[in-house]
Amino acid sequence: MQTMQLDEPLVLETLRQVVDPEIDCNIVDLGLIYGTRIEGRKVTVKMTLTTPGCPMHESIAGGVKNALRSLEAVEEAEVEVVWDPPWNPSMMTDYGRARIGLRS
Amino acid sequence: MVTGMLALLVGVSLLVLRPVMLATYHYNQYVIATTHLFVLGWICTIVMGAMYQLVPVALETKLYSEKLAAWQFAFHLVGFTGMVWMFWTWNMKQVGHFGSVLLVGVGLFVYNIARTLLRVPRWNVIATAVASALVWLSLAVSVGLTLAVGKCSYEAASGPASGGPLGVFLHGLKAIAAFTARFDQIGAMHAHAHLGVVGVFIMLIVGISYKLVPMFTLSDIQSSRRARASVTLLNAGLLGVFVAILLRHPLKFAFALLVVAGLACYGLEIVAILRARKRRSLDWGLKSFLTAISLLAPLSILALVLSWPGLPLTTLTGRLENVYGFLGLAGVVSFAIMGMFYKIIPFLVWYGSYSTQIGLRKVPSLADLYSPALQAAGYWTYLAGLAATTLAILLGNAAAVAGACVLLALSLVTLALNVAKILSHLVRPRMEPFNLRPALGGNS
Repeated sequence: MQTMQLDEPLVLETLRQVVDPEIDCNIVDLGLIYGTRIEGRKVTVKMTLTTPGCPMHESIAGGVKNALRSLEAVEEAEVEVVWDPPWNPSMMTDYGRARIGLRS
Repeated sequence: MVTGMLALLVGVSLLVLRPVMLATYHYNQYVIATTHLFVLGWICTIVMGAMYQLVPVALETKLYSEKLAAWQFAFHLVGFTGMVWMFWTWNMKQVGHFGSVLLVGVGLFVYNIARTLLRVPRWNVIATAVASALVWLSLAVSVGLTLAVGKCSYEAASGPASGGPLGVFLHGLKAIAAFTARFDQIGAMHAHAHLGVVGVFIMLIVGISYKLVPMFTLSDIQSSRRARASVTLLNAGLLGVFVAILLRHPLKFAFALLVVAGLACYGLEIVAILRARKRRSLDWGLKSFLTAISLLAPLSILALVLSWPGLPLTTLTGRLENVYGFLGLAGVVSFAIMGMFYKIIPFLVWYGSYSTQIGLRKVPSLADLYSPALQAAGYWTYLAGLAATTLAILLGNAAAVAGACVLLALSLVTLALNVAKILSHLVRPRMEPFNLRPALGGNS
């Protein structure tokens, strides 16, 4: 359990524990996180997946909740999966691109 | 999956032990039995199982009924094993009985997937391809069963059982047998085979590619129009090819051209998707799949040669027909399935062992579940086996066929070892705790 101040950097850092097993890159550097909202001890994550109908949908969304709940400061975690705007590789960080050998 | 792999293992073993099957003309009971073992036991079992997984993913919906899928598997298992055995002993009456059991399973499969298609939120080219494959599958199995009916005699139709509903049924079968006798039997067999291989397997490969290739390479369909054209041309061409082969009509070549045009559109679209991909490296699973579909090019040329009007049936023609069937089933379809094995099996095992642990512990990625070195060895051995078997068939040399099939068998051993390695994660999952909080900008 972590005893750190609950803010966006901590949430994003925590979400780096969630890795897309097909692409082998964490969801933050993959650019799947569209936003986070912190209200007291509740964290809501707005995110997408690389493709609609992704078979990893439930696993990754569940992983986000698991990771956030591992923080002591979090009591409730919610995940909102959206498809607009659709994900594209330009949303990845430089680290993410390098990780999966992406074409620029 | 286990059933399919066992059927493949038995099939390849039969080729090693009886290589003469590929070195002689293919219209005999052993070749027909072994072909049905490959087609129904290996390919259909895997394809149907995969469709229950892939169709909902590709079309963003849920499978209509898992219970129906379980029942279908039972009918399929009894139907195909009985059929293969009875083909081997050439007991066509029993082939008809077991074929009827298989037909019930196919009916359940078609109903289940059709109901799943009805739930599709947005109809697209993938749904069209899957729906087309269902139609061709129904037709292929029905035509196959009709051919089996045509090879039986119906003495009982004029015996004591000739009255009542059973009598009507027997007279119906006798009428069907008389009708099928009008057609050339080898032509009818070839027409039936094309419905199954092109209509079902190639059509599904085409349709599913349009979802999986962009998904795995981080790309998009580049021309929906071209993708739709590929499926439309395949459907139109196949309908014509079926009728033309059945009637031995010279228009067979023109319709074969339509099928080839459909495959050309498909090939162009896949090349465009790959050119636009963002993910540079292609894993061995995808390489196997792409190699398999690239074999459609030589196969198309062979198809045009073999459909040339008035082509005489010489020894060489017979060998080319054997190569055509072998490359179609073992080359395109089986190689594509093996490639997709490395996508589907790791996912299913990963899902069973790790999906609830993601975010809590460090879990392996899908690629960590198997050995890429073994996969690469399997790829090259299989490719060498395909080339060597093709050459051996062309030479009509049974000993060379046996030797070449040993290469294919070796490749299957590498696949089996990797599958065992993947399945071991079900028994002994490998997870690690997160040591330290990962650094910003780094992967955990």
